[in-house]
Order: sequence, then structure tokens, then C-alpha cells
Amino acid sequence: MIRNVILAILLAALWSCAESDSESAAFSNSGTGTGGSLARFTIVGDYLFTVDNNSLHSFDIRKADEAIPLETAYIGEGVETIFPLNGFLFLGTRNGMLIYRILQGGATEFISNYQHVVSCDPVVANNQYAYVTLRASGCRQAGPGAADLLEVIDISNLNSPEVVASYNMDSPFGLGLDGQTLFLCEGERGLKVFDVADPWNIELLHHLTHFNAIDVIPLDGLLLVIGPDRIVQLDYTDMNDIKVVSEIAIGV
Amino acid sequence: MFPGLGLSLLLLLSGCLDPKVDIPEQVTGLAPIYYEGDWRDIGAEPPQPIQELFKIYYKDSILFAGESLRGIHVIDNTDPFNPEPIKFIRIPGNSDIAIKGSTLYANNLSDLVAIDISDLDNIRVVSRVENAFSGLGAPLPDDYFGFFECPDPNMGAIIGWAEKILERPECWR
Repeated sequence: MIRNVILAILLAALWSCAESDSESAAFSNSGTGTGGSLARFTIVGDYLFTVDNNSLHSFDIRKADEAIPLETAYIGEGVETIFPLNGFLFLGTRNGMLIYRILQGGATEFISNYQHVVSCDPVVANNQYAYVTLRASGCRQAGPGAADLLEVIDISNLNSPEVVASYNMDSPFGLGLDGQTLFLCEGERGLKVFDVADPWNIELLHHLTHFNAIDVIPLDGLLLVIGPDRIVQLDYTDMNDIKVVSEIAIGV
Repeated sequence: MFPGLGLSLLLLLSGCLDPKVDIPEQVTGLAPIYYEGDWRDIGAEPPQPIQELFKIYYKDSILFAGESLRGIHVIDNTDPFNPEPIKFIRIPGNSDIAIKGSTLYANNLSDLVAIDISDLDNIRVVSRVENAFSGLGAPLPDDYFGFFECPDPNMGAIIGWAEKILERPECWR
């Protein structure tokens, strides 16, 4: 009897711990979060930038309780993704990668583009290189000659991006970059991990094939892999030993 | 009242004016996904299983998993070994989000909404920009050419399109 009471008290204590834990998951009132490479919304400073099929929209969000539309720039059909870096926006479109500069006041200015054959293609970038996947497989809009590729584009001169190298992939989707490590999703064919230190000769470190990967978010050692059937979290603090941390099932 | 309907009607007209297309008995095409009820009604609900994942967003150890065109699953990931669903934020027609501080920006069909999520038990829409977007959500996908089920205005707002096997479809482009 007493044992049961103690057990109940212990359980209650555990339960209340769990409760307070979930409540402690509160927000910091500052900063922005991180989206995947297929994102169409991104926040830079006081501005929210979004793309829809054919336009780039900017909103002033200086005041948390008042979003003010600033500008809608018509870009052309087939805008798919938006990626911010150092005051610039990289747009993945079906015809190529477009680079826009964010002006003071939140308007945007077209800088340059890198054109490729029509396909489906998100983009991520660092200071020197942009990585673009081109997917023809299963891409409804893919044009003739489209292929499944990863392209490395030199963006050290943002006015004239130049392709450095191009690698064959197998229906690539989203991708994520952490330092010199590139994570690349290939849908049912899993996730590839590359060392991209040498852009002319990127090195495949791992090919994880036991899950379906559409997009990734690298979070400094923790990788969120999004698939149609689950969210997988991987620990990549040791690149030689990437471990599954947990999985969240979808559609069960 | 029904974003996309005008466009759909235009499409319908332009489709039907084209005399060259033979209507097949059965064909795979797109059909509208209707939202029953007020699509502007945004709110927090108890956690629910993820049915169809769209995109995810991460902030302060909280994982926001987008349920295709329905809303956002909020998952506490303080312990990545044991992610714990804590809420579902209902945002009809949603396809993308971003968060600054404790304000979540989302498309609610073709509107942009700013939602204060500092208290997940009491979320509030603090700002709404009507018709901020044209191409998110309701209209027939720009890149789609083929048959589709003709929209029925009595069914409610169209929050998206899904593939469906259509019997003698009367709309196309």
C-alpha cells in the first residue's frame, strides 16, 4: 500500500517534471529560425521576403503586430525557393538561379542570374559558392535535355556567377550546407553527404539509403531530414559516425 | 470571397472555348481541395498525428512541421532523442512559414498573417495582409496543363489541388 503511494507520488513528480519541461520550451523573443532549402519564406533583419510562382514579395515586419507590404517584384514563371545570404537573396527558379540585393528600406534589386535548362532546383550558398540541384526526374516542368545534376557555381563575383563543376545525381531534391559539408536529398534514394572543400572534386562521404529524403536542415551537428513518411534526426558531430537520434513518423 | 475562383472560371471558359480537345472517359488530372468552414479561422488545437508533411522550420529547439494546406505541428525538440508534439496550429491553405521572435508569419491561403505564438495556448492573429499572394494556395498551379475538375463555388474555398482520376472532365487548359 505504502509502496503504491510512493510510486504514485514518484509518478506524479515525474509527470509534473514532464509538464514543466514542455512549458519550458518557450520562445526567445528575438532572432529568426531556420527553414529548409525548399522554403519560400525567409526573414532578413526587419523584412520578410516570400516568393510565389512568379513574384518576389517583401514586407516590413519591424513591428511585430503589423506586417506592411512593401514591394512585389514580378520575376517570371517558375520561382520555387528563396535563400538569404549576406544581404542578398538567391532564388531557385525553373530556369536558373537569380540573385537579388536587399536594398535599404526592404526593396530588392536584380543583380544577375545563372541560367540552366528547365528543371526543378533549390539553391544553398556560402560566401564563395552556390550549390544548385537540378532535377529532371519527376519534375513535371522539366524541359528537353534536363538532367539530374548538382552544380557548383562560383559567386565570388555576384554580378557574373559562373559554373565551376557539375556532378551527376539521382533525382536530387533539397540540400543543406554546413561549412564544407553538403547534405543532398535524393528522395527514395536517400541522403548523400559530400565534402565540398574542393569544388572541382567533391567527395562523397556517405550515402544513407534507409530513408526517403526530400529536404534537410543542418543545425550545427544535428541534421533534420524531411521525408514524405517521417522526419529523421541525425547526429553528425562525428562525420565518420553519423547516428540516427530519433524519428517522427508521418501518416500512421 | 473565393480566391482563385475567378481564375478558375476564366480557365473554365478558355478551356471550353477550345474545340479541339476530346474529353476522355477517364483521365488523371487535378481536383480542387475545398475547405469546409471559414478559412480565415486560425487557432491552436491539441497535437495530432502528421498526415502529410510539407516543410519544416526550426527555432529555439522547437520544430514546426507543416501539414500540407492545413497548418503547423509544433514539436518540442529540446531533447532530440524524444521529440514531443505539443500543439497543432490550424492555418487553412498554409504552405510556408517563417518566424521572428515570437511572431509566426504564414500564408493563410492568399493572405499573409502574423500570429503571436508567445503563448501557444492563446495564439492570436495580430496582423493580416489580404491578398498578399496570388500564386500560393488556391489557383490551379501555373505550370499545370491538362484536365481538372471544374470548381464548384458551393463547395467552399479552394485551398489547393490534388491529383485525381477524373471521369469525363469538363475543364482543361
